[in-house]
Amino acid sequence: MTNKSINLYFCNAFLILALSFFFNSLYAAEGGPCKDYGECDKFKYSLNDIESLQRGAATYINYCYGCHSLKFSRWGRVAEDLQIPEDIFFESLVFDKSIKPGDLMVGAMPEDSVNWFGVAPPDLTLVSRYKGDDWIYSYLRAYYEDSSKQYGVNNLVYPGTAMPNVLLSLQGNQRLICKDIAVIAENGGEKRDEYGNTITKEKCGFLEVEDGTGELTKKEFDTLIYDLTNFLVYVGEPIKATRERIGWYVVFYFLIFTALSSLLYREYHKDYN
Amino acid sequence: MQDKDKTRRKVLIGLTSAVGLSGLPFAATPFIAAWNPSAKAKAAGAAVKLDVSKMQYGQQIQVSWRKQPVFIIRHTKESLASLDNSLSKLADPNSDLISEPYKGLYPTRSKSSEYSVMSGVCTHLGCAPKYFPEIEPKPWDATWSGGFFCPCHGSMFDIVGRVFKGVPAPTNLVIPPHMFEGSILTIGEDKEL
Amino acid sequence: MKERAGKLFSWLNTRLPIINTFERHLSKHPVPSKVNFWYLFGALASVTLIIQIVSGIWLIMPYSNTEEEAFSSIEYIMRDVDYGWVIRYIHTTGASMFFAVVYLHMFRGLLYGSYQKPKELVWIFGCTIYLAMMAEGFLGYVLPYGQMSYWGAQVIISLFGAIPYIGESLELWVRGDYYISGITVSRFFALHVVALPLVLIALVFLHLVALHEVGAGNPEGVDIEEFVDDDGVPLDSVPFFPYKVLNALVGIGVFMTVFAIIMFFFPEGGGYFIEMANFQKANPLVTPDHIAPVWYYAPFFTMLRAVPDPLGGLIVMAAAVAIFFVVPWLDRSKVASIRYKGIYSKIALTLFGVSFLTLGYLGTVGVTEVRKIMSVICTVIYFAYFLLMPIYTKYETTKEVPKRL
Repeated sequence: MTNKSINLYFCNAFLILALSFFFNSLYAAEGGPCKDYGECDKFKYSLNDIESLQRGAATYINYCYGCHSLKFSRWGRVAEDLQIPEDIFFESLVFDKSIKPGDLMVGAMPEDSVNWFGVAPPDLTLVSRYKGDDWIYSYLRAYYEDSSKQYGVNNLVYPGTAMPNVLLSLQGNQRLICKDIAVIAENGGEKRDEYGNTITKEKCGFLEVEDGTGELTKKEFDTLIYDLTNFLVYVGEPIKATRERIGWYVVFYFLIFTALSSLLYREYHKDYN
Repeated sequence: MQDKDKTRRKVLIGLTSAVGLSGLPFAATPFIAAWNPSAKAKAAGAAVKLDVSKMQYGQQIQVSWRKQPVFIIRHTKESLASLDNSLSKLADPNSDLISEPYKGLYPTRSKSSEYSVMSGVCTHLGCAPKYFPEIEPKPWDATWSGGFFCPCHGSMFDIVGRVFKGVPAPTNLVIPPHMFEGSILTIGEDKEL
Repeated sequence: MKERAGKLFSWLNTRLPIINTFERHLSKHPVPSKVNFWYLFGALASVTLIIQIVSGIWLIMPYSNTEEEAFSSIEYIMRDVDYGWVIRYIHTTGASMFFAVVYLHMFRGLLYGSYQKPKELVWIFGCTIYLAMMAEGFLGYVLPYGQMSYWGAQVIISLFGAIPYIGESLELWVRGDYYISGITVSRFFALHVVALPLVLIALVFLHLVALHEVGAGNPEGVDIEEFVDDDGVPLDSVPFFPYKVLNALVGIGVFMTVFAIIMFFFPEGGGYFIEMANFQKANPLVTPDHIAPVWYYAPFFTMLRAVPDPLGGLIVMAAAVAIFFVVPWLDRSKVASIRYKGIYSKIALTLFGVSFLTLGYLGTVGVTEVRKIMSVICTVIYFAYFLLMPIYTKYETTKEVPKRL
């Protein structure tokens, strides 16, 4: 084996393993974080969509902040990053008038809240970082009616969740239903019986909202959750958008530096060749 | 080596060093900026609000802004009127030596015709001067007509914080930014500034 | 002006050998004229060490080493301190990059026989650096006091418990408490920021002194000292400055580009550099669903798991690191470089590399029956590479090494 080929060999082996690492991180299959829901729905954040973040912040403060603090985040920083003028922000979103812009969003929950739900509602500043945005986006849309539970709802993503569905009036009654699904043949098409009818099989575990029970349509509700999740991604790491923006400049700088220094090195390399 | 190569080398050395060096300030920025007051420190040092309508005439109170003493005095008409009497003792009666935020507005040096708001930090070495409003001979000044005396090194200021001649302190007491909304005084913030 | 500066320097030099040292070890230090990219990782490791020290010093300032504050002080750094996020991400990315670079540097050693006589001490100092780094990395990972900090430390400290007789009391002594508390965190903090960095710097110094005494190697395994010019300078060498410096500069450029891409776009490294569970404060009552070590310990973690008995696992894991120290005496080959070694060495090294990476992969995923068997096989290959080395290096046919580069 020549030296070149052995180097190449190592490089290949290394590359294959590096790639398998990468794909493993994408498709971590062990049970899946979304449990009974199956694969989490994919969420793609857009931190430059300020309007989405603003709507998400409003939804959060109106529906979630009563129980879930954002204790590492400061009111004024949120207003500034979301480009909401401070007076409007404090007028419309901050209900406690003694709050100053520099204050942390420590929540409005009394100390003994543990007793109400069995667990204290967790702080959600970092939820997007330890649960992931896909998980949040799926979780908030996976509530369904289950009369056996204390609040009459259960969740496919987080079975037995202690949190009631606070967005129920917006989403409407979501139920777990069974459907007849076409059986897929080995060639990829739908399987048919001898009369040409599609062969179906009953499958369960589908979520369906009862018509007319929610204030929002499914699409509107999904957008609402999208904005809310987007806001939680922002709160998880407020600098994220800036970080990615600066990153381009830094990478560009080092590419230029590498190019120039390699030209210089080649120039000096001539001396001893 | 040919001249062409030499120039090429020189140009490349210049370019590489220039690019390399130009990165240094950017690399240093986070490390320098990290020493600025953090959001937490800024929040703790945010403006303080208080209602000053309950203050007695002639009373001085001390509030803490950014963990530093700030003196607030509600002057009587008489004491304000007698301010000019000790003019000859003052080193800088019009605050020309410092950047005065509300210069020439009121004799109180503040944004109010009645209250003085000043930093309680001696401009000499940072002690807190004490308020002696009474007009009577004092061990440090036989013709004392009310004002501040610093126990550390004997600097003297009049009742609106103007420094006396011949004392260690070089300049008048600093006036922090402030504003009045009715009787609510905000120290550390002035929307007009 | 120039004359004066010259005078000052000669005055200094007669009292403090700075110029001699500078010329001998830096500017005029002869290095082999033909090396490849594998020889850059040493320089990159030094760069990373400096990056870690500087960013580390800046992280000490806002960090708080108490049980109540440790976790929130990290978020304080990430949000409230100006550019604190840059400094923290430099440090977290730097930790992973440090290990990546050092692993490649070590692999270079195995590839080109950089441990062979007379470089045994260079190699041993290097192995000790690696050992110190593993400890340093572990201690650092505990400091944010997140869930992975806690449970990672729990697993590692429990290993001490596997030691017969003294295990349990040793565990308690290391923690200084009945669980990993603020007391543990603050002693780990002291070790992480003062004790081990001092050890690391001293070891790096020794590593370099020893290296400069015996001279740097090359991918051919040629001893360049054999042919020297009239001044005693090896013919197949170039001065460190500017040749090696410029070469390193290109390497640093590429390295920093990769560094920046990770730091600004993938600081969590898909959960491999900063694990997701570590964004949750340590909770001694709730174990996270899936405990995986950071990627750079993963191969050893897998070996630990491959052995059913904790003490056995601990011994295997310790042996896996310790065995590196004796490599200079395991290799009986007449030649240094893989280029001139026989086919057995090539196969052995390839198998070793593949099994090491596989072990690493297995350490980051959950256990299944197949994976368990794979990890045992890979552990056996890992040790076989070292233990059989005296045999296969001695009895294989090697190629003739040229005299000159």
